[in-house]
Amino acid sequence: MKIHVYARLKDYFQPEFEVAGEHVRNTDELKALLLTLNDKAGEILSSCRFAVEEGFIDNEFKLNEYDTVVIIPPSSGG
Amino acid sequence: MTPSSSFPRAAEGRGEAAEGRGVAAGTPAAAESRVEPAGMPPGGFAEGRAVAALSAAPIDMAGLLAGAHHPGAGAVVLFSGEVRDNNAGRAVSLLEYEAYIPLATSMIAEIVATAKQKWSLKIAVAQHRIGKVAIGDTAVVVITASAHRSEAYAANRYIIDRIKHEAPIWKCEHYADGTKEWGNNCNCHTVTGDVNKHIYDTGG
Repeated sequence: MKIHVYARLKDYFQPEFEVAGEHVRNTDELKALLLTLNDKAGEILSSCRFAVEEGFIDNEFKLNEYDTVVIIPPSSGG
Repeated sequence: MTPSSSFPRAAEGRGEAAEGRGVAAGTPAAAESRVEPAGMPPGGFAEGRAVAALSAAPIDMAGLLAGAHHPGAGAVVLFSGEVRDNNAGRAVSLLEYEAYIPLATSMIAEIVATAKQKWSLKIAVAQHRIGKVAIGDTAVVVITASAHRSEAYAANRYIIDRIKHEAPIWKCEHYADGTKEWGNNCNCHTVTGDVNKHIYDTGG
């Protein structure tokens, strides 16, 4: 599973990386996996949205190991 | 349906194209300012030409305004969000904007299209910068034109609020002392309890 992160999340993770996603079925499980990589990212991850194929997903969305998941921190444009 | 729930959601159809895609920029100037791949939706139309929702080049505010006149519009409102030289008591040297370009582009297009329909606007345009933006330069512009001023003002506020809170665009503040920091995030979720719901969704 490929992961892309933006903005403040780059203080915690590389902009693009891969995780072993065969057991990651939803965003909650992905967040748990990411916390094993950096346990300081919990607060920012709790405020993030997730997207696959340019569409937002929620925890009901079934991820598969070939997905590219984009993790989107709270916006700060303008 | 709340505004945020109208955004593209993968769970409702992977790979589904957003309405408005396939419109090409109609002038060399517009083409030069495009940063998204061909086929991405625009941030509105001015004088019938598509305006890119995101631009890596300086925003041509005068050109956009010149294209925002309409014989049926008695009011034109322009909002320019500009880079100031200070934030929270610290001297700022520049801002740098990053975006998740495909989704930011389609969201701005959806926001503009929704406002245009909701307030029966004659013209609605929004364009946001990405990359480094100097002090005093425009980071985002929203232009709305309607028969009367109340609709143009209300629609303009709606568009800029939703872009700032919802579009996946982030600013990094570069300070005069050489440090930098990601800018103030939308923190509506601390009130609404949902990262997809904002204060204005709940009437707050």
